[in-house]
Amino acid sequence: MKSEQNFGTRLLTIVKWFILLFFLLVALLPLVWLFINSFRSNLELQISSFGWPQKWLFSNYIKAMEMASLPRLFLNSVITSASAVALNIIVAAMAGFILSREFFKGRDTIYTVLTAGVLVPIIAFMVPYFSLISRSGIYNTLFALILVYASVNIPVSIFLVTSFMRSIPKELEEAAIIDGCSFTQRFTKIIFPLTQSGLVTAGTFCFIYSWNDFIMAMLLTSSIESRTIQLGIKFFSSQFITDYTTMFAAIILTIIPSVGAYMFLHNKIISGLTAGAVKG
Amino acid sequence: MTKKGLILLLTILMMMGTVLPVFAQGAAEATAPAKEIELRWASIWVGADSKAGPVAAIVEEFNAANAGKIKVVIEPQPDYNAYEQKVRTSLAAGIAPADIFTIKLNPTTAEFYNSNLLMDFSKVFTGSWKSSFEAGSVNQSTIGGKLKSLPFETAILPMWYNMDILAKVGVTKVPQTVDEFWSLMDKLKAAGITATSQMTGDTNAWTSMIWFSHFAVSLGGPDVWSKPFTDPAFVQAAEYIKRMIVNYSTADAIGLGAGGSGGHFLAGRTAVFSNGPWYAGRADLAATPFFKNITIAGLPGFGSTSNYMISRIQANICAAASKDAAREAAIVKFLQFLTSPEKVKSIAQPSGAMFAVKTDAKPANHLQVQFTQLANSVAVSAPDFEAAMGAEATKEFTQQLSALALGKITAQEFTKLVALKINQD
Amino acid sequence: MPRLLFLLPVLVLFIGFFIYPFLFTLGTSLTRWRGIGSMQFNGLKNYTRLLADPTFRLAMKNNLIWALAQGFIQVPLAALVAMILLRQPKGWQTLRTVYFLPNVISTVAIAMMWTALYNVQYGFINEVLVKFFKREPINFLGNPDFALGAVIFQAVIYIGYFMIVILAAGMNIPRELYEAAEIDGASVFQQERYITIPMLRGTLVTTVTLAMAYGIRHFEATYLMTQGGPMHSTTTMGIDLYDKMDALRYSDASTEGVLLIIFGSVMIVVIRKIFGKSDPMSEMAQ
Repeated sequence: MKSEQNFGTRLLTIVKWFILLFFLLVALLPLVWLFINSFRSNLELQISSFGWPQKWLFSNYIKAMEMASLPRLFLNSVITSASAVALNIIVAAMAGFILSREFFKGRDTIYTVLTAGVLVPIIAFMVPYFSLISRSGIYNTLFALILVYASVNIPVSIFLVTSFMRSIPKELEEAAIIDGCSFTQRFTKIIFPLTQSGLVTAGTFCFIYSWNDFIMAMLLTSSIESRTIQLGIKFFSSQFITDYTTMFAAIILTIIPSVGAYMFLHNKIISGLTAGAVKG
Repeated sequence: MTKKGLILLLTILMMMGTVLPVFAQGAAEATAPAKEIELRWASIWVGADSKAGPVAAIVEEFNAANAGKIKVVIEPQPDYNAYEQKVRTSLAAGIAPADIFTIKLNPTTAEFYNSNLLMDFSKVFTGSWKSSFEAGSVNQSTIGGKLKSLPFETAILPMWYNMDILAKVGVTKVPQTVDEFWSLMDKLKAAGITATSQMTGDTNAWTSMIWFSHFAVSLGGPDVWSKPFTDPAFVQAAEYIKRMIVNYSTADAIGLGAGGSGGHFLAGRTAVFSNGPWYAGRADLAATPFFKNITIAGLPGFGSTSNYMISRIQANICAAASKDAAREAAIVKFLQFLTSPEKVKSIAQPSGAMFAVKTDAKPANHLQVQFTQLANSVAVSAPDFEAAMGAEATKEFTQQLSALALGKITAQEFTKLVALKINQD
Repeated sequence: MPRLLFLLPVLVLFIGFFIYPFLFTLGTSLTRWRGIGSMQFNGLKNYTRLLADPTFRLAMKNNLIWALAQGFIQVPLAALVAMILLRQPKGWQTLRTVYFLPNVISTVAIAMMWTALYNVQYGFINEVLVKFFKREPINFLGNPDFALGAVIFQAVIYIGYFMIVILAAGMNIPRELYEAAEIDGASVFQQERYITIPMLRGTLVTTVTLAMAYGIRHFEATYLMTQGGPMHSTTTMGIDLYDKMDALRYSDASTEGVLLIIFGSVMIVVIRKIFGKSDPMSEMAQ
């Protein structure tokens, strides 16, 4: 009996680690591929996509960094993504609070319409977006991108935030009301802090979208002052020739900070909140 | 509303406030210089493009010569597909994408000629300015008496023969007859060498589309594209392209993209390849051991037309119409400067690109020299399928080319399916 | 009053960036418009034509397959990994970061890598197939029988996106529940079955719905890898819509956009009906 249980536990551990390592491999593969190819020449890449560099070409990184506007584009991306996330999270949390903790007529309809937005293929809205941004005089500004990124992510954020807010026991709020908490205090003191892990998740989604978006940035901006890093990466791709390996070097350079931001958000904020997670 | 609520709202407003300076900065920029006319050029000739350097120099020279009066500002447009999308989105929203921009003129983009946003050059494009351009390209760019785009960069789309590989099967010159061509294909195949780099992927099956265009033009003559697509010339051309993909190409041809097709040729894995002059300037090509032994030539006459070439206008220059006559005059002044034979030569010489403006440019690279010689030596030229038929037909062509190569449809069915998209209203 | 103020910012942005564009799309879908010049009213002709178009029907079917694969393969895989990570095995924080990494890398690069992996002549997958399984190589992206599966496979194994949602929700489950179950002699499976899954039910429904919505509007990875080919076999409504804009058939593109949204909404309603009991909205209403 005892040994059987041990066998079972051991098998479980093996299966567990097999799963974890499989997905680890899957996730690391593109990164490793990108990293190795960022040191190869374009000819090597064209001839064979898999293989070690004949000579490790650090020049790809030098070329990538020599693109003078890179720091500016990078800064623009940071400003745009951070502002879009802040705007998106604040408005989504406020709306999510009403939609999940209050009951009034038409609430479900509003919720359904808002969340149906996740179905929208944004490319279908390019003409109206361009029209809206141009005619309101904010074409070619970071503000335009911030507004678009924050708005495009509203449905997803509402979806996630309300889902997290609903899981908070009603008793907590009821107790707060008895203690004399106002409407706004219920939001700022109870709901907002308790859903931080959900907000961070929604914020991550918004950040990834804002950081990776190329289509909107290309459409709504025209000068270095208001362009983002994704346009910088594409700078190595012109009509007839794409300098892939230098582009890869640029990608590697630009993912480092986004990975840093992700690790900070998730390891510091979420883990800090969840002293009560399971041990197993 | 409670105090706390107000504070929260104020915080939000403040957050937006920190963002606003960014907005203000952009707005200020646009209105700063008073008298000077600022022309914004959404240019694709930037970054990795071989024309980027000379084009930037021309703009700089123009700005210096017109200081205080006209200033041309380049708005770099990386990623060509996204750029095209921006142009059409902008025009659909009723706004010109920039003061100056370029398009690829084909039956789809010819729709842009219906837009009032584009300047019509036909009144000003006269005299020596007009005569410096190739008449054929100007005719091609004139639709309904209007010249809403100036032909600029052109290209021929010939075959590239890796003579080192041909030598391995004892062939020392490019095939001159159809028999010689098929015999070369079979010799290569017998020797275990993949003959050509075909592809059916991407949006236009680029290199195979060039082959198909060669077959079709040779079989049906230079005006073949005006015939219905079910014409026997196209059916026969479809049979040929199928034979090329199935028998004489790499195993990955179906679904392969242009990068893969070119990669095979660069790796020395395929003997014959097709592409335009821009490919001749690639650094990775120059690094191959067979670079010196590439011959640029056409295909033998598969039909009654021989000594022909496939050519297209690769970029047409458009300008935004303006109520302000001074602005339009400034645009014309810049375009005259840019398209003057001397300036075009300064772009053509280092880049090897070809233009609708006649120049005596002598590119340094031996492949580019071969391109120029070939373009001057052919008796007739006709556009390729994409240039003649537009985006929608080309996409269907690409999709059905896979079906044809896989044997799912016959050549006849292939032409019928593509014809459906061509004839769609 | 405060309710309205709290909702207002979202409503303003939503009207600007969803309602107005949707009305524009709906309006143009009833016209003939090539992006340039005037629009002519065309009634429902665009709809009848599109619904009869075999490529569009194939695209709808493909989107449904995408939605099912994302909702019922990708999300369960993500949930499985999240459940393992919730038990905080060695290095779980690092693993969590690494699993999420592919999402910060440009899609273009990932698509390039998979295209190369799938290549029939030089691709790593075919090398394995030939060397270890003695099988004929398969042109995954060039064969209409395999292409859709190949593109979906490379998408669903990236679980990071949905994993972080489930993980974040799972961390809110009180630890005491597990401790009590442990004392009662519940096995790991029983704990997951009777504690984690019920506690995460709302989140799982949300995640499945979200994943299916992504499947319905899927566009980018396929466009980069196959452009909908070969023989339209991997086409999706998003790709077809994009191609229509490319061909300056804006009114047709709008029609497809509207149908996509309708099709997606129907699917979400069906999902809600199936998981009706766990729909937190109806729970709340009670």
